Amino acid sequence: MTEIAAARRFDAIAWFDKGIGLAFPFVVALAVASAVLLAVGENPIDVFSLMAAESFGSTRRIAATLSAATPLLFTGVATAICFRSGVFNVGVEGAFVIGGLCGAFVGFSLPAGFGLALIPLAFAFAAIGSALWLSVPGYLLARYEVDEVVSTLMLNFVAFGITGYLVNGPLLSEISGNNVTPLVHEAAQLPRLLPPSTVHAGFLVGLVLVVAYGLWARRTPSGFEGALVGHNRRFSKAIGISIPATIVLVMVISGIVAGMGGASHALGQLHRFADGFSPGYGFTGMAVALLGRNTATGILLGAILFGALASAGTTVQLFSDIPLDIVNIIEGTVMIFAVVELGRLSLRRWRGAS
Amino acid sequence: MIVDQIIAASLVLTTPILLAAMGGLVNRRAGIVNIALDAKMLAGAFVAVVVSSATGGWFFAVLAAAVAGAAIGLLFSLVVTRAGANMIVAGLGLNVFVAGVIGFILNWVYDSSGTLRLPDVQLLPRLLPEQVSNVPVVGLALSELEPLTVFAWVSVAVLPFMLAHIRIGLWLRATGNAPQVARAMGISAPNVQDFSTAFAGFFSGLGGAHLALASIGLFNEGLTAGRGFIALAAFYFGRDRPLTTALVCLLFGFLDASQIRMQTAGLPPKLIGTIPYLMVLVALVIAGWRAHRGKAAAA
Repeated sequence: MTEIAAARRFDAIAWFDKGIGLAFPFVVALAVASAVLLAVGENPIDVFSLMAAESFGSTRRIAATLSAATPLLFTGVATAICFRSGVFNVGVEGAFVIGGLCGAFVGFSLPAGFGLALIPLAFAFAAIGSALWLSVPGYLLARYEVDEVVSTLMLNFVAFGITGYLVNGPLLSEISGNNVTPLVHEAAQLPRLLPPSTVHAGFLVGLVLVVAYGLWARRTPSGFEGALVGHNRRFSKAIGISIPATIVLVMVISGIVAGMGGASHALGQLHRFADGFSPGYGFTGMAVALLGRNTATGILLGAILFGALASAGTTVQLFSDIPLDIVNIIEGTVMIFAVVELGRLSLRRWRGAS
Repeated sequence: MIVDQIIAASLVLTTPILLAAMGGLVNRRAGIVNIALDAKMLAGAFVAVVVSSATGGWFFAVLAAAVAGAAIGLLFSLVVTRAGANMIVAGLGLNVFVAGVIGFILNWVYDSSGTLRLPDVQLLPRLLPEQVSNVPVVGLALSELEPLTVFAWVSVAVLPFMLAHIRIGLWLRATGNAPQVARAMGISAPNVQDFSTAFAGFFSGLGGAHLALASIGLFNEGLTAGRGFIALAAFYFGRDRPLTTALVCLLFGFLDASQIRMQTAGLPPKLIGTIPYLMVLVALVIAGWRAHRGKAAAA
């Protein structure tokens, strides 16, 4: 009897810890944001409730939130796939941008006669482009143990440089000003789900990908192997999992997902590629994956949360003069505290001592 | 004439990267890859402009920038060394956070979005008298010489000695190379790492101050333009050796300075801008390939 009770209590503590784990970074971020708001003489509760109303208050606002969450679904999944295998891919940002350019390129360069076939073609081209892009650091890590953090970080800047060059040179639109490609054909534009809001069919694609990721991670052998490699490389190797193959696999999948995200953003949101295509979706995706602890449900919630922050931030800036930068403050805090090892701060230490 | 200008511009553009790279190099020697150098540069630049305007003195502005950088570095370090946070993600998060805080202050206090112009900002003084500009070739560079550039190059000369012979330098290297040995010797690894990160912040803050006060005298949100990452590229390529890293910084500064001229020669500046990053990739691949070959030969 006592054993069962003890086990139950242990379970409860484990759940409590897990709950703290999910909520902790966000709570800290809200506390930091509150401190900032208090410092400038604003009531945090008023601001937060205004933000909540601005992000979920009406169908239109919800649509705006989902629209802002769309790219994050892709970048969140692309990051989580690698992180759960212990591969620190910080190059999703670059892959997203490359995918956007590839997708837009197909969308405006192929003849309009392709009709609706343009959309799958654009997605496929973007997926291939970004997969190839990330396969490079993946291969270098698998074969030569080239530190993937530095290589993917550096490749981000290379991606910005190459795409920036292309939209200012060979792919520059002839009719509109600077730094943009021509618009994609109308047939290649993703349909809007709730006009006049900008939420588009890319959101559904992202949703499907999140579900597919969840199934892959939890129900397939290769998904399980990926997680195992993340938990314990030596054990994985001992039971016959190829570490190099897993690394390349997760990098390629990550590239495919990030590339599709870029295509979705190009075809659904901007209808072209432009310099400054991504205001850091890849890095926010990292925050999403970390906050969601690499689970499908967590990524979905995290993406919607950050989408809400982004869409509310813009309007809050209009209504109360709180600068939009409060969103960055929250995002940065979430990222920092999402990786703080809770074991050292939470109940575990206390239990270990007792 | 053109050569004079390129030399002068290269030297000026090297200084901020060089300062940040020296800080980051010491940090990495102690085992911390500091990906948040950019944030500290940005903070340094901002503080430098504000303090320079308020006090009308460049020295306090530079000092305040360095202290601000060191303080941010120390906070970052505590999160990594005491709370066990992953240094890469925490570093990227810090970049976002600092940009957010500075943007917030700009917007709230100064009611401006992006750029901060303040009255009476005192720029860094020129050290040598006007007449040196008559010296052939390097005259222009000499006439533009200011204290931070001198400090940066002095630190390049001093750091190898510090790392090799001074106690704290040895502690740093022990902590980075062999944490167990360091612990056995009674060195507190977290303390040493905290010191090194604060040091990196101090130097990055100086780099930021140079960006803001060397010639333009104002702050802009995009002022660093990823220079913290260029600095990272520099010490990765320079394999954490001060002298090699400094030469790499000089090369990056030269690339930066000659971009505009290369543009007129038909080379797109955006592609030139990717060279530092590609160089690091190549360096990493070569290092990895060598290690791999060595391992294969041993086996």
